[in-house]
Amino acid sequence: MSGEECSRGPSAKAASPGKKAASDRLLFKTFFYSFAGFLFLFSAYLFLSNFDQLLVTEAAVKTRELTTWGEDREILNLFAGGFWKDPYFWKSLNLTLMITILTTILASLVGIPTAYALSRYRIPGKTVIEVLFSSMLVIPASSVGLCLIVMFNYGPFWHLQEKLGFRFAHSIFPGMIIASFVLSFALGLSAWKATFDSVNPRFEQVARSLGSSRWRAFRTVTLPMAKSGLAAGIILAWTRAMAEFGAVLFFCGTFRELPPARFSNLERALHIDQADWLSVAIWAQVEYGNVEYGFALAYILVLIGGISVYAMHRIGAKGYIW
Amino acid sequence: MIEIRNLHVHLGKFHLQGVDLTIGEGGFFVLMGPTGAGKTVLLEAIAGLVPVGKGRITVSGRDITHLPPEKRGVGIMYQDYALFPHLTVAANITFGLRYRRHDREAAGRRFDELVGQLGIGHLLDRYPGTLSGGELQRVALARALVVEPTVILLDEPLSALDQGFREDIRLLLKELHKNSRITFFMVTHDFSEALTLATQAAIMNKGAIVQTGSVRDIFQRPATSFVADFVGMKNILPARFDGTSADIGGLSVEIPRKHHNTTGHISIRPEDIVISLKPLESSMRNSFAGVIAGIVDQGFLYEIHVAVKDLVFKSFVTKGSAVDLALDLGANVQISFKTSAVHVF
Repeated sequence: MSGEECSRGPSAKAASPGKKAASDRLLFKTFFYSFAGFLFLFSAYLFLSNFDQLLVTEAAVKTRELTTWGEDREILNLFAGGFWKDPYFWKSLNLTLMITILTTILASLVGIPTAYALSRYRIPGKTVIEVLFSSMLVIPASSVGLCLIVMFNYGPFWHLQEKLGFRFAHSIFPGMIIASFVLSFALGLSAWKATFDSVNPRFEQVARSLGSSRWRAFRTVTLPMAKSGLAAGIILAWTRAMAEFGAVLFFCGTFRELPPARFSNLERALHIDQADWLSVAIWAQVEYGNVEYGFALAYILVLIGGISVYAMHRIGAKGYIW
Repeated sequence: MIEIRNLHVHLGKFHLQGVDLTIGEGGFFVLMGPTGAGKTVLLEAIAGLVPVGKGRITVSGRDITHLPPEKRGVGIMYQDYALFPHLTVAANITFGLRYRRHDREAAGRRFDELVGQLGIGHLLDRYPGTLSGGELQRVALARALVVEPTVILLDEPLSALDQGFREDIRLLLKELHKNSRITFFMVTHDFSEALTLATQAAIMNKGAIVQTGSVRDIFQRPATSFVADFVGMKNILPARFDGTSADIGGLSVEIPRKHHNTTGHISIRPEDIVISLKPLESSMRNSFAGVIAGIVDQGFLYEIHVAVKDLVFKSFVTKGSAVDLALDLGANVQISFKTSAVHVF
């Protein structure tokens, strides 16, 4: 530092780095907010740009034009007059909600005790089990679906189906439950195990030394301490089941075009006959050319996903996805 | 009475090998040893929290080796207290009473008594996350004691506390023990804690009990050089024995009694070695001339290293006497110690 700078005193010295820091901050803020803004606008555009496709009327189909946003964009659907009037839409929603809820209940009943055992006990071949289930999270669902088809259409499972008198593949019960269960269970299990891992077993040990049985120690100590993580796992398992596409498409296919005779009375009573799994329905409708339908169904899934993530944040179980 | 016979535990890298211990009913037993000696594993084996490989544990004549933890009547308090974070202080303390068949009135009295004695009445509605270390400790103690276990196991209860708190809790533990019929079993690696609290103690190293007895015994008559080192014996010297004298590197030292071996060690506590400028007219039979080879400041004391031939004796001198004697490096001095101060093993 030169003598001249010294003589100007401390306030003068402090001023120039302060200015520099302020301009650095401004630069950073500019970049940061424009980047974040771009990401936000991009997502918003992705979700909202085709919202008007949902509101197609008969008139619009005739003129082949959408007027809502004042652009002469082409109408992308062949089905006019409101998707909400079509029973297929409601039946598909009904079917998916019903099956995913069943799947989630099953996954929780099997997965939570399994996660607890994996977290607390020394089990032979534990690493193999963990690798097996974790790898399901990173392989494409279509390959899971293909494996399921082969597994249930040959060998001991095939003989079992012959004895029972109904087929698992290409069925609603239990085909869709099986197909959506696999990945839903794998994701739930990893969340539940992480949750139990984060609760020190020492609390349970102290509870037992205070006279609680194994079950009571679990119920009164570990369970309350793990509850938000467990709830997050249940939400994750449900959303994963909801978002399942490849496995259901491969293992169950589509049901819309099947004759009514293919469906049981129970399925008709529950209003899930001649309906499709939501994500499969999106794909099928777009393939048929009914893009409106695709969007309508996609918005439902986007909404459900958003609400689920928000719910997870509300119960304080952040960090499982974001 | 707790009796542990030939206990073997294998737990990852920790092993307990043939642990034998007998602890008197209602006593205050202190288990000491360096980190990694297996003290906590032994504690958890008694509490039933780790599987026992071989051996037997009985409490008051009842074999508890294979009982589940909840049926043992053994309480445990961990170093980190492990208070249930989702329960209030009051709910934490009464946790053990909730599902137990017991006399409600007596339990209530005990609760009030403990809360009063431990001075935690103002904390009852708070959650553990908002308490200080000393407060957590008191709550954990109350929780473990309110169920009146036969034995309470304390895993280094004082080590996580500030020096000031430590003194308080030490007195508190002493008082709690005096007022109850509960056997206290405390683990520590701090010898001074044992001195003030224990009626009985044991030293553990590498998964085995090295010495057991009264604290005084262990302190004054360590059985091995490890124990001697652990309890702070500074002068441990290899020796060759001949009757009641020992030869240590050319010096002949009088020892209190004959030793059963011809070779071994002698040790002398540094505070038992007297430093003077001239040979003393006293009953001390062992007296040697030496040169001051080092002076280490120990706070209240100086640790003086006196070289006699090839050996170095360590002695403590107060700062006042160091000035009076004008002790300095290279000064010629005389060291003396009583025959009874020589410990042979």
